[in-house]
Parts: sequence; structure tokens; C-alpha cells
Amino acid sequence: MPRLSIALALALFSAGTLAADAPPSSSGGAWQMLRTHFYADREFGEVDETFMHVEAPNATPDPSATSVTLHFGHEAIGKVKQVRVIIDNNPSPVVATLDVGAGQPISEIDFRVRVDRATNVRAIAETTDGKLEMRSAWVRAEGGCSAPPTSSGEGKTGDVRFRAGDEGKSLQVSVRHPNYSGFQIDPKTGDPIPPHYVSHVTLTAGGKPLLAIESGISISENPTFRIVSEQPIATPVTLEASDSKDAHFSATWNGGASKAVAAAGGSR
Amino acid sequence: MHRGVGFALALAFVCGATNAATFEVREVARGVFVHEGRTVALDAPGHDDIANLGFVVGTRCVAVIDTGGSVKTGRALREAIASRTKVPICYVINTHVHVDHVLGNAAFRDAKPKFVGAATLPAAINASRAYFVEHYAADLDAPASGADIVAPDHTVEETETIDLGGRTLSLRAWPKAHTDSDLTVTVDDAHVLFAGDLLFVGRVPALDGSVIGWREAIDALSTSQAKIVVPGRGPVSSDVAAAFAPERRYLQALVDGVREEIATGKPIDDAIAHVGQSEKANWQLFDTANAHNVSIAYRELEWE
Repeated sequence: MPRLSIALALALFSAGTLAADAPPSSSGGAWQMLRTHFYADREFGEVDETFMHVEAPNATPDPSATSVTLHFGHEAIGKVKQVRVIIDNNPSPVVATLDVGAGQPISEIDFRVRVDRATNVRAIAETTDGKLEMRSAWVRAEGGCSAPPTSSGEGKTGDVRFRAGDEGKSLQVSVRHPNYSGFQIDPKTGDPIPPHYVSHVTLTAGGKPLLAIESGISISENPTFRIVSEQPIATPVTLEASDSKDAHFSATWNGGASKAVAAAGGSR
Repeated sequence: MHRGVGFALALAFVCGATNAATFEVREVARGVFVHEGRTVALDAPGHDDIANLGFVVGTRCVAVIDTGGSVKTGRALREAIASRTKVPICYVINTHVHVDHVLGNAAFRDAKPKFVGAATLPAAINASRAYFVEHYAADLDAPASGADIVAPDHTVEETETIDLGGRTLSLRAWPKAHTDSDLTVTVDDAHVLFAGDLLFVGRVPALDGSVIGWREAIDALSTSQAKIVVPGRGPVSSDVAAAFAPERRYLQALVDGVREEIATGKPIDDAIAHVGQSEKANWQLFDTANAHNVSIAYRELEWE
């Protein structure tokens, strides 16, 4: 299976890189290989859902935009420095690596993913004192990576929306971008549309790092991340993002409920 | 609504598979025939016969409107046509890209009709071909091949009139609504509107295009001059405005509910849990389709 190993090898070194014609990974999934690569023989803590848990629908109503929520309990809040999200049976299993700003009391991180078929969705958290915790959720789905763009999937690339809720303790940030997976078909030609996806999103709040995301093609079109904090999220919130074709987008939000801001975008 | 359920259940109990003996068609106006599909889920037995299909007989030509979710269903429809008229089939019209409307096309290929659809339909079929072969192989002739999923060779940008001899059909292609390839057909003399899946009656509407576009299409169609409407799903109705009203109400509940969730900073999974629940008692097969619809509507409306 030479193609499979190429796809996996690429996936190991970058969240989003893949061969566009690569087959899906084997039914066993990519986890054992990725575990060795990222974590060698380090041990994981005992499963304790009060520390962290992964919430996802058991049968997704929308395989191309399945909502995943990482919940952090009191023991975890402020002590998790990084979370890596892996979808075992997706063609590019590493969904995203999330670096949490030091001391940010984040209790929840939500995002939307493409799910290609039934799979574990895992989150591996690394704490500030170097411990590893892993939790997962099982999701049944079909065809999320090849599903065509929706009616809002091909809008003005680089628009950014900020939406606050919960009296300033939650903030949803969305970047308008087709996030082509490489598995979607161009209806005009019948050929796959080449992958083109948001690769980095960096958020600051009140001048301090809030969340930095390295992401790939398993993130749904119009990448959207929502953060829930124990404290009101400091303003201004800034976003810096770039995509796999090295286009750069930025936006600033100065507070206020459900405010939408158009970003200054452009290629470098 | 109840008649539709009863009809579908009766069919399901009588016989597990489609064949000419149980493939009923009804003449809803002179020379205008309708086969009502069953009310089952897309993955249930009988799933290849869930859409309403039709044909219109002129003096020179027959036009078929949708062909069912399998080649077998298409053949049963063709036999039903042959048992009622010797007029040749000149046109096979598809109202949109979904499997339950197009997979039967192959059964008509050797009659050499013009295959007709919205200008967007060939691309939509192209994009779906591999998916259909993978997931609906059993509904095609073996070995399943993408070549057996017949796309239109004649397309409609906005409107077009087709002459069947002694009567005409008015075709209209719509901007994104139920899907991105919706087309309606009106039999001009009989004032019969084939709405395709722009109209679901009884069974919860499935959103695969634009909730705003669909609402606009409904507003235009429900005030049209048609006297009889053939929905994509559910019973034929002679009260056109009333037939569209429940669907219009449901889509409005989706729009209002999703906008409220977005405005208050609620994520998509909260919206899926809350929106549309007031409509639950009014529709068959509600839960799965509603969750999907809320997700699609949210992803559209969050960029308003």
C-alpha cells in the first residue's frame, strides 16, 4: 500500500498536507502510527471524563461540518498548554493542534470537522507540567471530506466574524474560506479540487495569547472556533490567519455583543 | 397527508419490491399521470421508490418527470407508460440531482429521449456520480457504473416551453433552494404543477441548497396559477397555496430559530438541539432531517 504510507507520512509532518488522490487510511486508523510519532512511548493519564471530555454527535447530522466540543474540567482549566485533535479514519487524520495561551481559563473549545466515515475523534492534551491526557468520542458519518461546498462555502475569502455570548465569556470566531479538502469534485471538470485550507489561526485577547491553531483539511469550510472562558474574554481580540497558499488575513474585535467585522486580507 | 402514509404503508406491506403489478399511477388530469412514492427513509427497504414520479401525454410526445431511485423503478414507470399510451417518450425531465429522482433515467435511454434538466444539473450529477455508484450500487444495473447515471443533454437556464403536440409544458429553473439544480414543470392546459422537491407534503423537507432561496421559491410557486400541485413527496393536492403552507411555516421556523441562535452567540450544536422542535409533531422522519437542515441553515445564515 505505497499510497497509503505516503499519505500517512505527509499527514505526520503537517496537519493538512496530503496527496489529493490518496485513499482513506485503513480501517484500523492512523492512531498507533501517530501516537509513536508525536508521543513516542510516553504514558497517558487514566481516563477521567471530569478532567476533559470530547463531545461529538454519535451519528452526525452533517458529515461535512460535525460539531466537536472539548470540555475542560476544573482540574484542567489553566493547566492545559496544548491539545492535538485526531480523527483516526480521515484521510488526513491530524485535524488541528491547539496551543492554549498561558493562564487562559478556557473551559470549552468548539470547532467543526469533516468526518469521512465512522471513527474515533481523539483529543490529546498536554499539561503545563508535561502530562498527557487522552479522551475520545465515536462518530458515525459518511462522506464528509468529499461533500461539495455549501451555499456559503465559496464567499469572499478572508472575511472574519466575531460573535460573543454568555456575557462576554464565549466568543465564536469564523474565517470565510472554502477550506477545500482535496477530495471535493469540481463539477465542471469532474476532477478533484486541489486542497486549499486555512493552516494557521492565532488569537490574542487584551494583548495576551488566547489560542493558536495549526489546522488542516479536516476542518470544515469557513473555519470556525468557539472559546468559552471562566472569565470574560479580554478585548481587543485580534486574529491573524494564513492559508496553504500563503494568503494572510487579519481582524480585530473591540468588544460588543455579536459584532461582525470585515477583515483586511491579502497575499504576501 | 394521511392518505400518503396509508398508501405507502399498504405498498410496503403488499410487496417488498417494485414491479409493474404494484406500480400504481393515477391520472390527476387528462393525460397527466402521477405515481406516488413511499414514505420510508433513504436507507430503508423500498428507498428506491420514495419520490413522486409523473408523465404527461401529448398527441406527439410523452414527457416523463423524474424516474425514481433505481433503474428498476425507472423500468416499472416505463412499463406503466407503455400500458397507457403508444405515443413515444420524447423527453425525460429531472427536477433535481437527488438519487430518488434520477437513477431511473437509464431505463429510458434506449427510447432516445431528450434528457432535460436545469442548467446546473449536469455539473451536480458529475459531482455526485462517484458517490451514487459507491452508495447506491444496488439501485443501478450490475456492474454499477457512473456511465449509467444519465445527465441531461438539454438544459434550461431560466424558463423554456416544451411542445408535446396539442399541449405544452412550461419549465422553470430556480436559484439554489432545495438543491442547486431545482426545476419545476407546469402542464399549461391542465394547470398541473410538478413542484419536484421544492414541495414536501407530510415528510419533513430536506435542505441541501439555500433556506432563503427555498423560501423565495415557495412564495413564487404558491401564488402561481396552478390548480393542482404534485409535490416531490406526499399526496397530490388541488389546493396549491394550502399545500405549500406547512413547508413555508417550517422553513420560516428554521430561519427565525437559527438567526436567534446566531445572534446570541450560540454554536451550531446548540442550534441543532433547539431549532425547529415546535414543528416536530407535524412531520414524518423529522429528527435526522431536521438536525441536518438546522446545520445547513446555520452555515448559510451565519454569513448574512
